[in-house]
Amino acid sequence: MPSEGPYVYAAPIYVDVEYSIGSQSHKSIEKKERVLIGRMPIMLRSRLCTLNGKDEAELAKLGECPLDPGGYFVVKGAEKVILIQEQLSKNRIIIDSDSKGRIMASVTSSTAETKTKTVIFMEKEKIYLQLNQLKKKVPIVVIMKAMGMESDQEIVQMIGRDPRYSSLFIPSLQECAMMKIFTQRQALEYLGEMVSMGKTSSDPSVKVEKACELLLNVFLANVPVKQGNFRPKCIYVAVMLRRMVDAVLNADTFDDKDYVGNKRLELSGQLISLLFEDLFKNMNNDILLAFDKSFDKRSRSNPPNFIKYIFPDTITKGLEKPISTGNWDLKRFKMHRKGVSQVLSRLSFIAALGYMTKVSPQFEKTRKVSGPRALQPSQWGMLCPCDTPEGEGCGLTKNLALMTHVTTDDEEGPLIYLCYTLGVEDLELLSAEELHSPNSYLVIFNGLILGKHRRPQYFSNAVRRLRRSGKIGEFVSVFVNEKQRCVYLASDGGRVCRPLVIADKGVSRIKDHHMKELQDGVRSFNDFLREGLLEYLDVNEENNALIALYEGEATEKTTHIEIEPFTILGVCAGLIPFPHHNQSPRNTYQCAMGKQAMGNIAYNQLCRMDTLLNLLVYPQRPLLTTKTIELIGFDKLGAGQNATVAVMSYSGYDIEDAIVMNKSSLDRGFGRCIVMKKYSVKQETYQNNTSDRIVRPQMEIVKGELRLDPKMQILDADGIASPGEIIRPHNIYVNRQSPKCTRGESSKLLDSDYRPSPATFHGIEGETTVIDRVALCTDIDNKLCIKFLVRHTRRPEVGDKFSSRHGQKGVCGTIVQQEDFPFSERGICPDLIMNPHGYPSRMTIGKMIELLGGKAGVSCGRFHYGSAFGEPSGHADRVEAISDTLVKHGFSYSGKDFIYSGITGCPLQAYIFMGPIYYQKLKHMVIDKMHARARGPKVMLTRQPTEGRSRDGGLRLGEMERDCLIAYGASMLLFERLMVSSDPYEAKVCKKCGLLGYYNHKLKTPYCTMCKNRDNISSMKLPYACKLLFQEMQSMNIVPRLQLTED
Amino acid sequence: MEGGGSYHRMPKVRIREMKDDYLKFELRETDASMANALRRVMLAEVPTIAIDLVEIEINSSVLNDEFIAHRLGLIPLVSDRAMEMRFSRDCDACDGDGQCQFCSVEFHLWARCESDQTLDVTSADLKSNDPLVQPVDVARAIDAAAAGGTLSSAVDSSDNRGIIIVKLRRGQELRLRAIARKGIGKDHAKWSPGATVTFMYEPDIHINEEMMESLTLDEKRQWIDSSPTKVFDIDPNTQQVVIVDPEAYTYDEEVIKKAEAMGKSGLVEIYAKEDSFIFTVESTGAVKAYQMLVNAIDVLRQKLDAVRYTEDADFHLLDEHMGGAAL
Repeated sequence: MPSEGPYVYAAPIYVDVEYSIGSQSHKSIEKKERVLIGRMPIMLRSRLCTLNGKDEAELAKLGECPLDPGGYFVVKGAEKVILIQEQLSKNRIIIDSDSKGRIMASVTSSTAETKTKTVIFMEKEKIYLQLNQLKKKVPIVVIMKAMGMESDQEIVQMIGRDPRYSSLFIPSLQECAMMKIFTQRQALEYLGEMVSMGKTSSDPSVKVEKACELLLNVFLANVPVKQGNFRPKCIYVAVMLRRMVDAVLNADTFDDKDYVGNKRLELSGQLISLLFEDLFKNMNNDILLAFDKSFDKRSRSNPPNFIKYIFPDTITKGLEKPISTGNWDLKRFKMHRKGVSQVLSRLSFIAALGYMTKVSPQFEKTRKVSGPRALQPSQWGMLCPCDTPEGEGCGLTKNLALMTHVTTDDEEGPLIYLCYTLGVEDLELLSAEELHSPNSYLVIFNGLILGKHRRPQYFSNAVRRLRRSGKIGEFVSVFVNEKQRCVYLASDGGRVCRPLVIADKGVSRIKDHHMKELQDGVRSFNDFLREGLLEYLDVNEENNALIALYEGEATEKTTHIEIEPFTILGVCAGLIPFPHHNQSPRNTYQCAMGKQAMGNIAYNQLCRMDTLLNLLVYPQRPLLTTKTIELIGFDKLGAGQNATVAVMSYSGYDIEDAIVMNKSSLDRGFGRCIVMKKYSVKQETYQNNTSDRIVRPQMEIVKGELRLDPKMQILDADGIASPGEIIRPHNIYVNRQSPKCTRGESSKLLDSDYRPSPATFHGIEGETTVIDRVALCTDIDNKLCIKFLVRHTRRPEVGDKFSSRHGQKGVCGTIVQQEDFPFSERGICPDLIMNPHGYPSRMTIGKMIELLGGKAGVSCGRFHYGSAFGEPSGHADRVEAISDTLVKHGFSYSGKDFIYSGITGCPLQAYIFMGPIYYQKLKHMVIDKMHARARGPKVMLTRQPTEGRSRDGGLRLGEMERDCLIAYGASMLLFERLMVSSDPYEAKVCKKCGLLGYYNHKLKTPYCTMCKNRDNISSMKLPYACKLLFQEMQSMNIVPRLQLTED
Repeated sequence: MEGGGSYHRMPKVRIREMKDDYLKFELRETDASMANALRRVMLAEVPTIAIDLVEIEINSSVLNDEFIAHRLGLIPLVSDRAMEMRFSRDCDACDGDGQCQFCSVEFHLWARCESDQTLDVTSADLKSNDPLVQPVDVARAIDAAAAGGTLSSAVDSSDNRGIIIVKLRRGQELRLRAIARKGIGKDHAKWSPGATVTFMYEPDIHINEEMMESLTLDEKRQWIDSSPTKVFDIDPNTQQVVIVDPEAYTYDEEVIKKAEAMGKSGLVEIYAKEDSFIFTVESTGAVKAYQMLVNAIDVLRQKLDAVRYTEDADFHLLDEHMGGAAL
């Protein structure tokens, strides 16, 4: 279990090295096995983690929580999550228009070596290429010619001979002809001129070489060039051009950048592999350099051996640092990202789980655009429609839905081979004319044009059949795009996909006996997948599917059936009962609030050493559950309590969402929580090898009696406070002493050479805190570190924040005795009272149904369900059924009760809607926030009161408040606030020169330094800040003079 | 009350059902203020004894000290002594220290788990220094033992294991001293003797027989079923609607609404009798239910006496206001 320190959860990387020694003539091959090259941080619960595959008992033995989701790293004693990064897909043609309205086609090529961006755009009806390595735009026809397409006819044929296409392309051809570029050589020379990289040279051959290199390695780098054959690149350009021209003719063909199918999610594996690749190459370079250096100094007795130049630190440190800081800086891939990793928030179980599903956005959050923030239809089932933060990150930061799977890279070679065997005609064998022949579709694999196929439907069905039978990876997707006349195959990583039930002509492949086997535990999800009953579809392939929500709704044409509709929500939104009855933003608010709810964090929560830990004393499992709750284990690690809520007004202390609480409920433990805070003390070591020491508490003599300083009462004989002691503010918890002299030579230190530097507790006054645990450990610099976990049990008080699961937060407005609380004739007395004004504007019908369902649940003894959209499938109870249960148990169908006032004993005028609702206690508590001061510390510089609660600061009377007082004419109050109570100062002012003097204590008179005398000095009061301003102005050669008048 | 009539009345109590921890009685010929005063006093002001101070010597259990102390406090203790006991705040014998025999009872608990099986530390492990003050479930077990059967069998029987305080695993230990004191529910719910104290107005149901006869049997049945509780039924012999259990009526007005919906408004008239109440009292076990009522009346009388004998209070006006009949 992590707890700040040098600890990193990592595994060694061993490699087998093979190298040859000696000159060309007598070479000998040497082998060395298991050479350590570094340590790789291991993701918890991953395949390499020791916890992988362990059952509950084994995990318990290791002190780990079985409900912990894993997925994070432990680096330098902190739990770090590498967030999922959202990105535009690589190696794909994206047709878009830029800010000037120009149509452009861009490809971000990413290969093992480099990352480049190719942009082709249309300007004034002519088409150009733009690259970062080019000085300026280059006509695209020049590029085509440079790649060997000298014939204009062929170019036009490739784009399409249809006059609509060719006419749009003619201006570009003309331009090229005007430039007098007709041959490949001419084109290359022109291009070489434009290349900005490398040295400029007038030599034509150098230019040609540069141009060739550009075309080879930068321009569309993802398209491979085999043996100098540029034809695939030409065809790629032609396809790009054709799609651009399509876009000119028909605006529908633009690509949507916000479409989820055009996005890739980068997971921690990909990010770390990038990092590792970079570091490994660096390490190899370092070895080479070091070896070269030592090779010159070799001798017979000291033969060169490069193994000893392998320093594992390069990789170990290089992997640790980015994960712990979150800064991914890779020059090779032009990657400079900050905040990639974050500390895992362990405020609640849900917060930790929510972190794992968080997708951080590709854009910076400050952009004021609405497009990327809007809910995209293609997010259905992949990204949660509810779970997004409010404010700047709204709609940009997303969360995965419950069943989303993010693909990893699959091997391309066999798939390409498979495509050819399935009848894809190779491009090499096709003429330019045939490229867009009407009876065939292009086959594009991972953004690469493989060739064309005459029967796309047959081809795609064949690939799907192979996938369902498990012959190829389950995450390979095939998608026939009728509009673009293309078949897209994808096996690359980062696509989001989700499982669906396969249906044949509208009949589900999953039969009742399958489900029975699943319930009996004979069959698992993976069996369903393997047997072709389920399959994963990515966002693109979903476009070829007709998905029915329920089996009953399927028609002949239906290809798939949804597994369960509630899985479109993520984990945080999954906690909400009946979310489909709520107003949408309420669910979003709850998603944010569920993360602040106190409860249990993990089974091992009491063994952890977190800086801050909020626990509920009696957490409960919600009476109204959802399927998601059961799936994620929230029913085992609850964060709230089932409170009996009466919806009525009471006492006036319930306005503005405040809630009235029952004192007896609080006495019995409702909302009681434990707050644990960590304090650590270091035993410092100094330059001169001296160090702090921790000594037993000293006795002192008071009135002839030997006694212990009361501040040190909680200390043990070792000078460290012992667990179980009650610790109060100003108590000393470590009796530390520091050497007086920390520099220069160190000699034997005597007791008198130490000065006390105790660790004093600064807790909240009036709070009874207890030392829960003490841990001694060594930290990163090998210093002794003593950690204290201080515990405080808090009962709810006025001002503590509570919330239901429907985004309805409120503070406790007042606490009322039970006998004053309303009661029913059955003796039911609510735990809290909520004002009915919370309902009309929020429209949280889900909360009302939760109350009904909870009431029915407690009366009949069965947990009721409220999964999203769960009514048709039986995962949510219907209101009618709930009402029937209520009536059966003698309640009104409406959930309302006849209630008596506890104060008068008279019946209330109205029936009261009363029943249990799951309430969360949120981490915001008044005791951490309340602050007031009458007098206190002042800032040294200005002598004004300090700012902020942590410094016991004053409450500022700001400019606007000042304006009010001026407008009101309360000048004396203003004077008192701004001067008397702030920074009054008695200044000596010279009446003659108007400058500030001072009081000379030797002469015992005021004195003016300007006039060099003591006459004409008078004394006045002004704010110290004002005096400071005068002096600062004087230092800038501005003379502020005060003109005094006598009165 | 018409014409400034008398507030003076003689309430009547009729006990319907009485068990140690359950009491149902009627309170008649008085008004809501009286009934509610009784309810409030039973909940909040009848004194009981509960653990108030815990000194923990050893606690290696999973629950922390405050947690255990809170749980101990909520264990109901037999508080028959409570009325005679002193509040520790005004106990002369111990100077408000709250640790003398007149105002406190001491408990000791020592449990250590030596086996591989989880050990439940229960209220039965609390050892009292006063045999009259015991956790209620222990006291019940002792009574059962006295009535016949052995003590150990009663304590160990699966349905009466006592109130679990904490569970210990091998090697864990809990050792503490607890002081129980007298207190009232107003200060903390642990001193409240009542689990449920509630009352209802007795309903007064009048069926318009004439109109009822105009209904068919089916309609009658529909009308009867409209009530969520079983108040009415059909006499199998006469096929007339009869009131089976008027007190089951929860003032939900469903039958009235149903009658209206059937076009028979005025079919039934239901009023609450403003001067008779049906009380339901359930005790935590600290004080027997009937004793709770008696104690409550006692406490109420003491409170009234305190008002009456206050020297400087001017009751003249009050007397006048109340028609000179009260006091």
